[in-house]
Amino acid sequence: MSKNYANASVRVSVSATVAISQEHPIAIHELAHACGASVEWVAQLVEVGIVEVTVPAGPPDAWYFHSIDLQSALEVRRLERDFGVELEAAALILDLQREVRRLKVALQVQRR
Amino acid sequence: MEFKDYYAVLGVQRNATDDELRKAFRKLARKYHPDVSKEADAQIRMRDINEANDVLRDKDKRAAYDALADRVARGGGSGADHAGGSGSGGFQPPPGWDEGFEFHHSADQGPADHAHFSEFFSSVFGKSAQRSASGGNYRARGEDHHAAIEISVEDAINGVERDISLRALETDAQGQPNFVNRTLTVKIPAGVHPGQFIRLTGHGMPGHGGEPAGDLYLEVRIALHSLYRVDGRDLYLTLPVTPTEAALGAQVKVPTPNGSVLEVTVPPNARSGLKLRLKERGLPGKPPGHLYLLIDIVLPLADTDAVRKAYEQLAQAAPFNPRRHLRVEGGV
Repeated sequence: MSKNYANASVRVSVSATVAISQEHPIAIHELAHACGASVEWVAQLVEVGIVEVTVPAGPPDAWYFHSIDLQSALEVRRLERDFGVELEAAALILDLQREVRRLKVALQVQRR
Repeated sequence: MEFKDYYAVLGVQRNATDDELRKAFRKLARKYHPDVSKEADAQIRMRDINEANDVLRDKDKRAAYDALADRVARGGGSGADHAGGSGSGGFQPPPGWDEGFEFHHSADQGPADHAHFSEFFSSVFGKSAQRSASGGNYRARGEDHHAAIEISVEDAINGVERDISLRALETDAQGQPNFVNRTLTVKIPAGVHPGQFIRLTGHGMPGHGGEPAGDLYLEVRIALHSLYRVDGRDLYLTLPVTPTEAALGAQVKVPTPNGSVLEVTVPPNARSGLKLRLKERGLPGKPPGHLYLLIDIVLPLADTDAVRKAYEQLAQAAPFNPRRHLRVEGGV
């Protein structure tokens, strides 16, 4: 049986956009889902200090996170998957990566 | 669409072992990492490397890919002929090529990078994975997708509406998965900063067994600007001043990214590199960023007798040795 593989095109206007921020943080299960991981994995990131809970008191169900935590968690997930890196080593790589980026920005800022 | 040789992408033989594949991938992933690589096409190379790794490191996908490659080598590659397509030589997977293969998405695979992969990957593996997931009683919310969006400093401050194009899998009325090129018109809210994520609920992968679709997360990146450099929420602007303005102090006008013009006081005896802070004139937010002015003293050219004379008079009036700390003889 033959099948037509041609692509269709659709234009969609998205009005419901939310910028992840202090007013709109993401819950632990949302962070886990965004990384294709479990909430237990996110709890490990908290323990290692890779991500920071907005209000640490309370059960994990009540933990919320910001954009920088999502960025860190995604990066760590890639490091785990691509290089088999342990969480503690991933935390160090993340710190060094941030330092490199900070220095690059500082160089750019000084450029006339 | 071209047929992709994943073995060539990773620089390995077709009979490469898992260990050889892993080593080849890790070597290339380091070489083309965006924080390290100086190559102009590093991002595209990295996408191809990730894609090749995704297929060849998965036993089922690799077997299916090898079978497809054999079929292409025998001249049976283009499904466009079977489907009554253009027949222009572009690659289309032949119908039913993946019968007997089943692709699974395991929980430890991490974020759904598949959204960034090529059209070739999507056409070969996307539908099969979707069919596999939609079989039986499997129920799960769709995977989230991630992408980056680059906007200008002005757009970050004022907000903007932007079109982004994504290739998405959708299930038609007959329950068959199909690729749809979706152009999303997205409203970027005012006051976003680099590294911030914008969530578009329900615009990730479709859910399975009646579960909702995943979300799309867009990471904000700020494009290079001709005047302003961005550091988090802070902005930096180089402010050229004359030696007279720097020495005696002056009131100068500076542009701000929201379009207004401010009059700023340059203090007397300002040196090059002096940083003046315009509080909360950077990118908005909580807290808002600042706009920093970096003083840059620009000398007038000594290209007329009058200017040369003025420099000589300055040297006589203010004799000083800027190289004193070098502790060498000579000079003033």
